[in-house]
Amino acid sequence: MARAAVVQIPGVNCEYETARALEAVGLEARIVRWNEPDSVWSGFDAFVLPGGFAFQDRIRAGAVAAKLNAVDRIASEAARGKPVLGICNGAQVLVEAGLVPGFRPGHVELTLAPNRAPRREGYLCRWVWVRAEEGPGREWFARGARPGEPIPVPIAHGEGRFQTADPEVRRRIQTDGLVLFRYATPAGAPAEEYPFDPNGAMLQAAGVTNAAGNILAFMPHPERALWLRQVPIDMAGDWGERRRAAVGTWGSLEGPGPGRVVFESLAARLRPRAAIGARA
Amino acid sequence: MSGADDRSLKALIAEAGLRLTPGEARRMLELLRRDPTRVEATIFDTMWSEHCSYKSSRWVLKQYLPTESPWVILGPGEDAGIVRLGTHDGVEYALVIAHESHNHPSQVVPVEGAATGIGGIVRDVACMGAEVVGVMDALRFGDPDGARGSTVREIVRGVVDGIWQYGDALGVPNLGGDVFFSPRYDENCLVNVVALGLVRFDRIVRSRVPEEARREPYVLILVGKPTDETGFGGAAFASAVLEESAEGQRGHVQVPDPFLKRVLLEANRAVLDWLHREGVVAGFKDLGAGGIACASSELAAAGGLGMDVDLDRVPAAREGYPSEVIACSETQERFALVVPERVADRVLQWYNVTFALPEVYDGARAAVVGRVRSDSRYRMLRGGLPVCDSPVEVITAGIEHRRPERPRPRGGAPEPLPPVHDHEALLRKLVGTPNLASREPIVRFYDTEVQGRMVIRAGEADASVMAPVPGSKLGCALTVDGNPWWVAADPYWGTAHVVCEALRNLVAVGAQPVALTDCLNFGNPEDPEVFGDFGRSVRGLGDAARALGPDGPGGPPIAIVSGNVSFYNEGSSGRSIEPSPIVAGLGVLDDWSVATTGALKRRGSVIVLSGARQDRLGASQLRHALLGKTDGSIPDLDFERERRRIYAALEAVRRGLALACHDIAEGGLAIAAFEMALGGYASQGIGLQIPISGIGDPPGMSSEARLYSEAPGFLFEVSKEKLTDFLALFERSGVDATMVGRTLEEPRFRLLDGGRPLVDLDLETLARIHAEALAPMVE
Repeated sequence: MARAAVVQIPGVNCEYETARALEAVGLEARIVRWNEPDSVWSGFDAFVLPGGFAFQDRIRAGAVAAKLNAVDRIASEAARGKPVLGICNGAQVLVEAGLVPGFRPGHVELTLAPNRAPRREGYLCRWVWVRAEEGPGREWFARGARPGEPIPVPIAHGEGRFQTADPEVRRRIQTDGLVLFRYATPAGAPAEEYPFDPNGAMLQAAGVTNAAGNILAFMPHPERALWLRQVPIDMAGDWGERRRAAVGTWGSLEGPGPGRVVFESLAARLRPRAAIGARA
Repeated sequence: MSGADDRSLKALIAEAGLRLTPGEARRMLELLRRDPTRVEATIFDTMWSEHCSYKSSRWVLKQYLPTESPWVILGPGEDAGIVRLGTHDGVEYALVIAHESHNHPSQVVPVEGAATGIGGIVRDVACMGAEVVGVMDALRFGDPDGARGSTVREIVRGVVDGIWQYGDALGVPNLGGDVFFSPRYDENCLVNVVALGLVRFDRIVRSRVPEEARREPYVLILVGKPTDETGFGGAAFASAVLEESAEGQRGHVQVPDPFLKRVLLEANRAVLDWLHREGVVAGFKDLGAGGIACASSELAAAGGLGMDVDLDRVPAAREGYPSEVIACSETQERFALVVPERVADRVLQWYNVTFALPEVYDGARAAVVGRVRSDSRYRMLRGGLPVCDSPVEVITAGIEHRRPERPRPRGGAPEPLPPVHDHEALLRKLVGTPNLASREPIVRFYDTEVQGRMVIRAGEADASVMAPVPGSKLGCALTVDGNPWWVAADPYWGTAHVVCEALRNLVAVGAQPVALTDCLNFGNPEDPEVFGDFGRSVRGLGDAARALGPDGPGGPPIAIVSGNVSFYNEGSSGRSIEPSPIVAGLGVLDDWSVATTGALKRRGSVIVLSGARQDRLGASQLRHALLGKTDGSIPDLDFERERRRIYAALEAVRRGLALACHDIAEGGLAIAAFEMALGGYASQGIGLQIPISGIGDPPGMSSEARLYSEAPGFLFEVSKEKLTDFLALFERSGVDATMVGRTLEEPRFRLLDGGRPLVDLDLETLARIHAEALAPMVE
């Protein structure tokens, strides 16, 4: 069974449900403290940086955590082709560490700026829809998603607006297909305005990968959409219909939710590797 | 002090910066049999504050409130109450609940005040060994459009910021709560917070020195933020009337740090797990009001043993704090742990090395600061010399004041309501008033999703529902309620109605009510009319809790397992807040999948009303909207009838006979129906039509009373297929149930009077007014 490390940096707060999400798709998950010995990291096949407020978001969200030795070690493992998923604060760490998009290793080329929406700034917690695009990250994190399929997931962040000052970086992200997930309408069209576009990110980006596609910085929380019961009962669209129809049926409500596709894609991609003994 | 007369005693006390009364000072001398040291005087001053001692309220609470039932594992007395949840995979689980106020700090410094409110209540639940799985808050603010409106709006914004900044960073989901606006909170807002925890029955940790300390040496470990002077005098501050100038009072407010709290909770989890694996029995307590002195003496006294605390060993933010500051300051983010001396080094290693507290946070660490004694003496040492030395029971004995109660004089005959000519305009106005508008602009700041346990979240239904144990069918539901206008109009029946509403909210989502907590916010208890309100409110609370158990008056009550009393809620103008008991209701579900919301689900279904409307519009939202007044008579309450209605509704929801269930509360039937059509945060576009002639008895009741009476009841949405079974259930239970309307294909909200539309509005129009009214306050 492939092994995934959920990285516990002081201040993160989603490590337990993230570990449960990985276990739900058949991966072995262990919560690994940031200060465990360097040798620990090479024993894992995948790494997840969960959400939270690592080191209190001192300086900028993710900035202090990005300098940790553990993040360097994980970057080395990623360079060997292992996948890294950063969720919310974890995404901020990956961007601050220069791993996403990672055109010039060690350089911070993107930022997650404060949300910007008409009449609604600051921290925002709500369910939104994303859709998976074509790109190198698809085989790692979205192989189970149908093209254009609207996937409901919750966001909870104050700084989630992917942005760059460098037009060349923006151009390459776009042309190389590094925006793996975009905010969408409930019907699956690209989100044009608030609340479907919740934060004003460039290219409506909800999730951006590196060029190889094995590192994803994803602002929404797929681990909070892992079971059908987590879908708001009044949600529009298919998932809402399914949720309402399942009231009173525990087995259905305890069945898969929309965010599971991210973890399932990861597990599916890891399965043959583990099977042929490719584990480091 | 000994031998001093009242005047010189007063002068001495004031000079020391304390708030003891001369009578209390004499009692202290009598107990100590000598003059106190400065540290001792500060300890007594803190421990005998109203906030810590419940000196005015305890005897009333003890006399009237039921605290035991088959569901209760631990009632009031420690930091939190504990209730049975159920068994999953052979493991017995319990829910831990605590409820407190943080009113004065939130008025003076709203962000920090509200944040430390969350921080404190979370510690109360965590120190029972529980994982904190949710917080809920009941907020009371002044009139945002009144004379002090700009201050009120600043406080709203600050309190909301404090709640989200702390709770979101800590990683505890917000389960909602309620918000009420009234001018009498202009100078004294209320921030009441509830925290809910989950614990395995065999892992409950008590806040006391364990029995084992009689057989082997035990030490006291203090862990967390380095002690500083913040919050010094906080308990006394919470126990006095607020002064006009906030400037001088800010030092009493503690400084929150959710980051450190999160790290500490993780480290505590590892330490408690390890102690359990090693078979070591520990005592655990949070540091709140009264700081080290209060926590250590209560740990010792609860175990019937004494303690020596060495103040020189307390990690401090800087050198040179006076002993009384180290002993009593209310520095946040600290816990006290009592463990056998033989494991102390390992425990320190967990905190200081494995979780690296000193590296992660400047000055944070765990340190051994005291030792359990074999006798019952309690000492604090500085430079090797005692600065406090007394039998522990003297420190924790407490004090009591029997205050007189006097009923308020009755007001004159209330001014009659003007007739309503334009019901559409009225409804448009009502759905946008601060008390009835959507809470969504506030809730969107709160992380409702973290931990992944949510089934029904804040704002989707009358109560929040969670699946606390992963993979289990066991569910729990939480609600918090309070209607200050009703309680002001009638403290006894108003409070009883609040209990009913809490229970209605629980059963509406299919949860069996199992426990209540209360936070009783009142004015100055030395005023006999305020204390009279308090006494009657507590009686109403107790009587309702006893009458509304599933089996009625002879059976077990819905016990009150935790709570808090907050007096002296009045501004410098001398105007007290409305008497404001706030009740949280906790329910459990054998199978959380039955939980439903109040949102309309299907076109072509039937709307059923249970609960006759009453021609009583006193203290209603309608009366306030039409006249700006909140006087008059509130609806009658018949405990037995309400009990039967509540449990019939529970059975209907559990059996899936209702598509939707919503309790009728503020704004009456019309607002309840509108909220159902609105459907939480996203309308399904299902309309609703109610001919008001069908709303019922007595004939000749005004359309205003039919639509806006806040008499207790429910609205249900029932499918045509289930209607017969639904009505049969209510008939068998001896409870009224009347078909009053139906759902519509088109998204319209219609109220008809003899075929003529009183209201015929596009849902979207109403929804927009409702959704946007509060937004400017928090943007």
